[in-house]
Amino acid sequence: MADTINEATRKGFLVDTSRCIGCRSCQVACKQWNKLDADKTSNKGTFENPRDLTPDLYNRVRFVEKETSGEVTWRFLNERCMQCGDAGCMKVCPSPGALFRTKDGIVSYNKEKCISCKYCVSACPFDIPRYDANDKVSKCNLCQSRVEGGMTPACAKACPTEALKFGNRNDLIAKAKSAKKEIYGENVLNGLGVAYALEGPPEQYGLPANPSIPMSIFLWKDVIKPLGILGFWGSIGAMMLHYITIGPKKLEDDTTGKEADHE
Amino acid sequence: MSNYVERFSTSERILHWIVTCSFFILFLSGLGLYSRLFNGYFNLFGGGQNAILIHKAAGVLFFFTSLNMFLNHKKDVSTFDEDDKQWIEQRGGYLSRDETHFNIGKYNPGQKLFAIFIAVATLILGITGLFIWMPTFFPRWIVQLSLMLHGLMFAGSVMFVVMHIYLATIGNPGTIEAMLYGNIPKSWARKHHPKWYKEVTGESP
Repeated sequence: MADTINEATRKGFLVDTSRCIGCRSCQVACKQWNKLDADKTSNKGTFENPRDLTPDLYNRVRFVEKETSGEVTWRFLNERCMQCGDAGCMKVCPSPGALFRTKDGIVSYNKEKCISCKYCVSACPFDIPRYDANDKVSKCNLCQSRVEGGMTPACAKACPTEALKFGNRNDLIAKAKSAKKEIYGENVLNGLGVAYALEGPPEQYGLPANPSIPMSIFLWKDVIKPLGILGFWGSIGAMMLHYITIGPKKLEDDTTGKEADHE
Repeated sequence: MSNYVERFSTSERILHWIVTCSFFILFLSGLGLYSRLFNGYFNLFGGGQNAILIHKAAGVLFFFTSLNMFLNHKKDVSTFDEDDKQWIEQRGGYLSRDETHFNIGKYNPGQKLFAIFIAVATLILGITGLFIWMPTFFPRWIVQLSLMLHGLMFAGSVMFVVMHIYLATIGNPGTIEAMLYGNIPKSWARKHHPKWYKEVTGESP
């Protein structure tokens, strides 16, 4: 597979949730730069809005409200495509070039090449990809065009508190570690392009503690697929071998005689 | 008196070849979905998106015709008697060059097991195919499991079909005539399916 990442130049995010104030500038800036329509939402008695990613919402702030002994803690998590080093979506995508890795290590996509199979929806460890009205994949690609033009992604540009920090992934993680931050996503799935400094266990933020490509997806692509191809050629080989070693079943003993008796 | 007996009626034969055609359309249109190695097969259908469309249509056709075919022969293929046991014990005589004779009814146990396997595979492929068709309407784990099972049953079916084609053509010369013309020579019936021969002709094999 052509999915190789140059770790030295890999770009990414370090999301420091302790700095996030839930202003949603990132959401708005993303919509503006990527020219995404507004989604109609409804008030469900929380400040979180919208409640989920949509084909027109590549990143959003997840509001985690928790009440412990009368006190309410509020935590904010910027949710988006994690740009996995080992990306489930790329693993299952049957259309070459529909989902691809950029030289900066970003998982980007080309809607023209998407064949609408939706396999990526099932294979994502974080349930991120959405399908738009034309049945094409859509998700955050870290503003690939901006990054390749030497700019930071729109969301990071708009973030007023530096909760979203963009840059060389190694540098960002080293810096956060030297500040004694607990890093989420440093090594899992060959490292997440979007790593987090969280203030508590990942489960509290609705993140899987040990994210991985779903087991049945792994079995499908890494076990069944190669064995099936082997089995196909193996069965053809076995039949040919049977034909030349044991041979076809020819039951031609006394039939002509018997046949004659009946006539 | 004719030298031939009818093995498959016209409607049985037509149904079989509809199932065959839909199977191979499914096979070719699904190859590109099975692995990127087979991406070129999408070109047969004018791109991946069309291949998926045709795969779905052929899938619906295959699901109903294949199950129909099984249900038509359910009684014949799902009961095994003592003579079948003997056939199974000696692997139908296929692993030796010696001539073997078994007192077999309309279908031998190999054919029965093939029919049962394909029926089960059809059910699983059809149901999982529906989940894969509309993944966003079902819980993610169901779709993930379906993708795996769909691939597994496909790989299994293909291997069985390779065997089926071999045994029905060059492996047992004369057999395919039953599915092409419907009638087969009495001598063939008497040797390959003596018990069935007796049933349909009343003559002792």
